[in-house]
Amino acid sequence: MKNEEINDVLEKAGRALPDPSPATLQRIADSIKPSLRPVRPLPTAWAMTAGLVMICATVSLAGASRAGFFGLEKMGILERLLIFPALVILAWLAGSEFVHEMIPGSRRRISPGALLGLSSAALLAVFALLFRDYQTHHFISIGIVCLLTGLLHAIPAALFAWLLLRRGFAVNPISAGLVAGVLGGLAGVGMLELHCANFQAAHMLVWHIAVVPLSGAAGALVAWSLRFRAGSSARERTNPK
Amino acid sequence: MGARVHLAPKNNLREHTGIDNDCRKVFEPMCPDSNLEILMARYQQGDYGAATDLIGRTSPQLLRFFLAQSASRADADDLLQETWLRIHKVRHTYRASEPALPWFYAIARYVRVDHYRKSVRTTLGTTKLEAMSKEATAVPGKFDHVESLETLLAPLPESQREVIEMLKVAGMSLEEVARATSSSVGSVKQKAHRAYTKLRETMNATGFGKGQSGGLS
Repeated sequence: MKNEEINDVLEKAGRALPDPSPATLQRIADSIKPSLRPVRPLPTAWAMTAGLVMICATVSLAGASRAGFFGLEKMGILERLLIFPALVILAWLAGSEFVHEMIPGSRRRISPGALLGLSSAALLAVFALLFRDYQTHHFISIGIVCLLTGLLHAIPAALFAWLLLRRGFAVNPISAGLVAGVLGGLAGVGMLELHCANFQAAHMLVWHIAVVPLSGAAGALVAWSLRFRAGSSARERTNPK
Repeated sequence: MGARVHLAPKNNLREHTGIDNDCRKVFEPMCPDSNLEILMARYQQGDYGAATDLIGRTSPQLLRFFLAQSASRADADDLLQETWLRIHKVRHTYRASEPALPWFYAIARYVRVDHYRKSVRTTLGTTKLEAMSKEATAVPGKFDHVESLETLLAPLPESQREVIEMLKVAGMSLEEVARATSSSVGSVKQKAHRAYTKLRETMNATGFGKGQSGGLS
């Protein structure tokens, strides 16, 4: 069979499907009428993205100003010029994707999984290029402190980001949670770069970058559990004991 | 008195031609150049006439979308109403510069997935789900007398089925389908290509079209 023939069969089958009854349509119209009032559309995508990047920057700077800018002080000009612009670009990309996740029918430029991979790979490349100290003193004990610090800053960044976009509607909550987590994770990495003066390559490559995937996974897990809870409460409403 | 809800012509809402039964009213736009995007903007401003026009123009497509996804008529009607309640709740998320149809379909997909997830948990149970899954992927024995879209698309996985429904029944573009399904245009093309390959294999295997005078034209 040719494609044209299959098209024809599908179109004929499509035409055979019934229409909604006028009574159903009238019922829908009547159901929305009482609450029909003007609504304020969401701001433009770039304005929301800018807001998200500002949130990340604010959380990173606030965290570092409390803990100290030791990392920034120790960095050379090349490191500053590569690391922070890379973080801003990745945060803009993640912010833009988060905005699109919260607006149904938006064009998707990159999938949440690809965003996570790209963010981690880009940071790996930048850190591997800049840091050549391959010693591993106190690799785990110091590393865990950095990881926890990064995650502790990722949480408020992701929460504020969600608050900013709370009027949006995520048609795929798990994807949206993952992207919000990645965005928060980038804020956490930003804070670590400003604060942490341990420039051992292994430390940076493992513990600093691990904040991004762990935060992304946590975001997806939270979204999944919220959806699961919503489903459970719907089930309880439907089948009360 | 509320505005009457007018049904759009069948198969392609963008073409105002052809009325084929008595219950269907002729679509009369409230202004000559009104399209879905303009109607959405007016709906956001609280215009009831625009809301009823939108309901009349998009509901037939949305109902067909649900019916093509193996929903019963009663389920499809429920899903349609649920979709409109959701659309009404989140109407502020539509942006005037964007195409409206993918926005509607994205919400319809969400409602469909959410509905089945809840119904599986509440009533069907695991056994029934397995039965449904087998049924959905089963190859129909004969196509000769088949006219239903659901049966035609039954051999396809759900993701390919919805892409074919949007492209060939709703008449959406690749870009619109990509937006509605939160995927890339390349991914939509790939799904459509695979779906056509599968449909061709199934139709050839079952001898579909042989001896049919008007079936394939």
